[in-house]
Amino acid sequence: MITTGLIYLTLVTVLYLIGFRKDPEKGRQSLLAARQTLWRMIPLLLAIFALIGLFQEFVPPEMIHTWLGSENHLLSLLNGGLVGAIAIGPPVAAFPIASSFIDTGAWPPAAAAFIVSWVSVGVVSLPVEAHVFGWRFALWRNIITFFAALLIGLLIGGLV
Amino acid sequence: MVLRWFARQWLVSLGLLLYMWAGLATPERALRALQSGSNMLLSVVILVVSVMGLVGLVQVWISRDAVARLLGKEAGPKALLLAALCGTLLIGPSYVIFPLLMTVRKQGARWAVVTIVLAAYAVKLPMIPLEVGFLGWPFSLARSFLTLMFAIPTGLLVERLMPDSNKHETLEI
Repeated sequence: MITTGLIYLTLVTVLYLIGFRKDPEKGRQSLLAARQTLWRMIPLLLAIFALIGLFQEFVPPEMIHTWLGSENHLLSLLNGGLVGAIAIGPPVAAFPIASSFIDTGAWPPAAAAFIVSWVSVGVVSLPVEAHVFGWRFALWRNIITFFAALLIGLLIGGLV
Repeated sequence: MVLRWFARQWLVSLGLLLYMWAGLATPERALRALQSGSNMLLSVVILVVSVMGLVGLVQVWISRDAVARLLGKEAGPKALLLAALCGTLLIGPSYVIFPLLMTVRKQGARWAVVTIVLAAYAVKLPMIPLEVGFLGWPFSLARSFLTLMFAIPTGLLVERLMPDSNKHETLEI
């Protein structure tokens, strides 16, 4: 995550330098707008990370893991999508976790649904998404993306 | 005034309440939760500040006309393909992408564009080597391909479910 941060920081700094050279006034305005957005996001970010901490402490990975041990393929597909939707963590972590699911006998389509759902459906980040875009968009987007994740998982079962 | 702030920032209030409850029930675990939460927050501080910097740049330098031309209704299917490409290349956690996308939306991008970016964002191009390492080429290729195939239909479907006018939107980031 720090590397990603540094990549962004370098990129944005270069863009600001170019901006300030072209038009110092507009450069200053950009900084002001950036500060304003950051300021408004701070309470929300503090809350989200505090909640992630609680989640990690009180919902252990083993608990999530047992959900996918289902014999029924369709049920494990649904569970894969659900676990991905509820779990939070860096996107990178989805791959080793999915691979451990497959190693312990999970159906590969369930693991695929898990990854897609992990990255693009967020039940925990739903309040943030709704705060930014409004509830209507946030709810529809997450519901439709969830079903897309299940379909993608199923199709992978046919392709791989 | 204070009460109104807590009502509006209900996520903050929820977090505080849960911590109070956890703190009373199991103080050590509540403390551990707080520690892992703040560690994670510290690890993304640079990222969050940089992306907000990007939001500022987009707001000031990119004109509404340009966004509407490239990502609005008038751009046609090209806007959707461009959104899929942007989503594939984007990195970082979603909660920093949201404000960036809302800025673009306010400048005139379609709802479908916002959704497609968020859907294609699951491809995670910069992280594919990692996925291949864990799950192999066939799995990774099939997943990325299908994620892209589904991005545009998902975007169009969500857009159909949204009201056309802008009057209902809460534009507060």
